[in-house]
This record gives sequence, C-alpha cells and structure tokens, in this order.
Amino acid sequence: MKGSNPIAYPSLIQRLFSVWYRHVRVYTKNLLSNGLPPFLEPLLFLMGVGLGLGRYIDETMDGMPYIDFLGTGLLVTAAMFTAAYECTFGTFIRMEFEKVYDGMLAAPITVNNLIVGEIIWAGTKGFFFTFAVMCVLIAFGIIQLPAGLLTPFVGFLTGMMFATLSLLVTSFVRTINHFNFFLTGIISPMFFFSGVVFPVSNLPPAVRLVAEIVPLTHAVRLSRAVCASNYTPALLGSVAYIVIFTAIVGALAIRRLRGRLTG
Amino acid sequence: MKIISVENVNKTFGRVHAVCDLSFEVEEGTCFGLLGPNGAGKTTMMKMIYGRSGRDAGDGGAIRVFGYDPARDELAIKYLSGVVPQENNLDDELNVLQNLIIYSKFYGLPGGVARERINGLLEFLELSEKAESRIRELSGGMQRRLVIVRALLNHPKLLILDEPTTGLDPQVRHLIWDKLRQLRAQGTTILLTTHYMEEAFQICDTVLIMDKGRKVLEDNPRELLRENIEAYVLEVPITNGTAMPAIQETGLPGGVRLDRGEGTLRFYAEDIDRLKGVVDKLSGNQYYIRQSTLEDVFLKATGRALNERQ
Repeated sequence: MKGSNPIAYPSLIQRLFSVWYRHVRVYTKNLLSNGLPPFLEPLLFLMGVGLGLGRYIDETMDGMPYIDFLGTGLLVTAAMFTAAYECTFGTFIRMEFEKVYDGMLAAPITVNNLIVGEIIWAGTKGFFFTFAVMCVLIAFGIIQLPAGLLTPFVGFLTGMMFATLSLLVTSFVRTINHFNFFLTGIISPMFFFSGVVFPVSNLPPAVRLVAEIVPLTHAVRLSRAVCASNYTPALLGSVAYIVIFTAIVGALAIRRLRGRLTG
Repeated sequence: MKIISVENVNKTFGRVHAVCDLSFEVEEGTCFGLLGPNGAGKTTMMKMIYGRSGRDAGDGGAIRVFGYDPARDELAIKYLSGVVPQENNLDDELNVLQNLIIYSKFYGLPGGVARERINGLLEFLELSEKAESRIRELSGGMQRRLVIVRALLNHPKLLILDEPTTGLDPQVRHLIWDKLRQLRAQGTTILLTTHYMEEAFQICDTVLIMDKGRKVLEDNPRELLRENIEAYVLEVPITNGTAMPAIQETGLPGGVRLDRGEGTLRFYAEDIDRLKGVVDKLSGNQYYIRQSTLEDVFLKATGRALNERQ
C-alpha cells in the first residue's frame, strides 16, 4: 500500500490556511461584539487625551504634538494586547477547557501546523486591531494617507511577535489565573516603558537599556517611522529584532507546546 | 490485510507506566475493541495509533498503521483515518454545517464535494434536520452523532472512536452501534475503546481487555465468554440486616464457583441445575439467575476492587 499510492494529504499551505480559517470563522461569528471595540477603544482614548490631558502637555515629544505621539504608539499596542490575550487565555481555553485542539489534531494537522496557524491568526488580529486604530487616527487627522495605510502590516508583525511570547508563557501555565502575572507583570508595564506614552530617550540609562531590550519598543519605532515615511538605516535594527525575536521565541514555544500536546 | 499492527509498545508518563508491552493486530474490515477500566491505558494506546501521543522510543516497540509509523507519518495516517475523541469539542459559536465545513478544510475537500458529503453523512446519522441548528440546541446524543459525522468527512478507511456511547441513552447507543455495523459492512476498519461490555459484545469482532496498561485477555467476545467464564450466574444480594446464606464455600456443590463481591454473592456454574441446587439452600434470600456476560469476564479478569487510577 505504501509507496505505490502516496497519500495526498493537504499541503503545508492548505493546512496552515485551514487552522487560520477555523479561527476566522469562529471570531467573525460575533462580528459586532468582536469587531466594534477595536474601533471604540482608541476613539475614547484619543478623545480623552485630546479634550483633557493633552491641554496640559505643551511640549512636543520626539518632535510631535502629544496626541500624535500617543496615537502612533497606540497603533501597535492594540496589536500587542489582542495577540497577548488571544495566545494566553484564548489558547489555554482551546487547549484545556474546550478541547478544540483534540479535535483539530485528529485531522491531518501536526502540532507545528496548529501553533504556526495560531501565530498567523494572532498576526491577523494584530493587523485588524491596528487597522481600527489607523481608521481613528486618519479621522483625527493624526496620520496621513497613503503612508498610514502601511501601519496594519506593522500590526501584523507585532501580533505575531507577541503571539510567540504569549504561547511560550502558555506552554508553562497549568492554571489559567497565572496569566495575570504575565499580563499585569510584563505586558502592561511594557505599555508604559516602551516609548508609547512618553519617549524612552528621557529615561535613566538603566531603564533605557531595559526599554531597548523589550519587544514593544521596536514595534513602536517601526510604527512611527511608517507613519512619517521616515526610513532610516537604524530602523533595520528594529526590523531585525522583530524578525529574530519571532523566529527564536516562536521555535521555543512550538517545541514546548509540542511536548505538552503530544505527551 | 493488517490495518494496525502494534508490537511491544510502552508509554510512560513520569513514573506512571500507562501502557506496558502491548501487542495486537487489527484486520481490515473488522471492529476491534479496547476494553478496560478507567486508567487502563485505552485512550493512551489509541492516541499513539494516530500520532497524537508518542510511544516510548528506543525500547523495540513498533506501531504500523496502513504500513506507516505514526511517529513519522502522522499526516498520512490521519488523512486515512477518522477520529472521534472522548470529548465532543464542537465549536459552540457555530452551527452544525459551519462546524463541518471547518473540518472539511482540514482534509482539503473542495467546497462542492464537502457540501455533498456533509449532506450525505448528516442523512446517514439522521441529523439532516439539524443542519442549521446551533450546537447548544443539540442533545448529547445529537452532538455525539455530529462528531461521528465529522470523523467520517474524509471517508476514512479506519475509524477510531474513544468511548463512542458513554453517557448516551439506549436509543442513541443502538443507533450508533447500527451505523458502526453498517460502516464495517462497507469495509471500514473500526477501533474503539469502551467500558461497556454490551457495546463490545454487540459490535466488536475482537476484544482486548486491558488493565493497568497490560493485555489481560484478547479474543472474539463469544469465545471470551465461552472460555473464561461459566455460562450461568446466581446473584444473591447481601445487605445489612439480611441473613448471610448458610451456604459456605466448603459446602458448595461441585462445579459451582463462589465470588464474594461487595454487597453481592455470585455463584457461577456451567450447569444451571447446580445453581438451582444452591438456591434451595439459601435462607430465604432474594436471588437472580442469569446468563453470564462479558462483564463477568471483565470483572474476573481485572478484579472487583477499584484501583488508584479509577
């Protein structure tokens, strides 16, 4: 039987697509409740800053009015948060509570396919959440067309990067409440110390070093450069960081989750 | 032709030896049942067959499914097989049709082919009217049948079912057994786990009784009955306050075996008249004589006491 008639199981691309398609179908099932908040959140944030806080901040930050500075940072934090939640709580629930993976892994899908599919899906959510912020920023006149249209692609990369980190955390977690340590201990502080709310250049050197190491800083840099169409050679460092981080942490996460799912 | 061949396979989780040196073979077009108490290693064995769980490496154990090794060619095996996991794990947010379409993508089925197969299979498992229903609106039996439809989407040559009818009412169980027999008649090979003796007796051509990861007995269910247990059982319930029957093991007539269970005495014999002889000596206790079943074989083979994994 073997050899004479090779088994025509779906190709790698088809397998990854089918995992991604599953997540898209489930997510878009509740389009209104899933699709509206990504637009409302930046709207409320920028209205609050524009009408309130912004009036007290006269100084420009990195040469931008404060609302522009914050807005261009929010483009990628939206992608970070959605990917972090998707690949911690979302993945854990699919794995341990709903047992969705038990069904999927009974079909011709390997654990590697499944996890890579999750990462691509989180990237897609990052794309969508950044797109939502982009729409609000365009409405506020904070970013210009057509340069701003590239920002969702930065959101895609940011989503994938934080998906790998979150999946690695998930591979260690046995109790769902432990994600709070990661989300309030690592993700939330990153929001404040990665040059989103204020520039990192003014921080003490030790804190600045930490800011250079954490992933969000590089995503924010890329986002602002894309908004301003200001591409410098130094930006290659941030792009390289994102690519290498995603590849290495992704490989570790896949390895650990494979151990957990096929044990 | 052998569809599955398992040779000296082991699986350890830390210090727990879940499957010990297990070997068996499954012929094409037959139904093979793994029978055992909870924690016997049935599900673990089943997962190793379709590559979901890795067997212990380097101990000489081997698994071949359609000639493929699940440790290397899981995709080929999964493509040729359908799996019904122990839990239903349907997507609650989606309706019946949407659940199935998602799985048709996993097998790379083109849309038209998928729709046709889904319609045919929903009809086969008597779910056609529920195509547009949400999962929450389905009864447990309907959900179970839907998972079977899902496993049949790619017209599998091997159908693997982990406790297909646990927790279902008798009507649904009989319907599922009937469908499994039809599939087998069409040439599908079936591997299932169960702890229902009745299920094993109804649909399995071969039953392997497992306990604590090891094979205890393996044979055709009728042969298992004939060779391992007396034909008739006399059951005498013993509750607090009822008199112990005067009869003692030493006073048993020849050819009668006594098994003292918790709360029940069971007398086994090939000849029903000998059991009637025992009845005469009971001190007014209630009693019940029946043919012995696979359950009696099972309990004899695996012991009546609960083990630490149950």
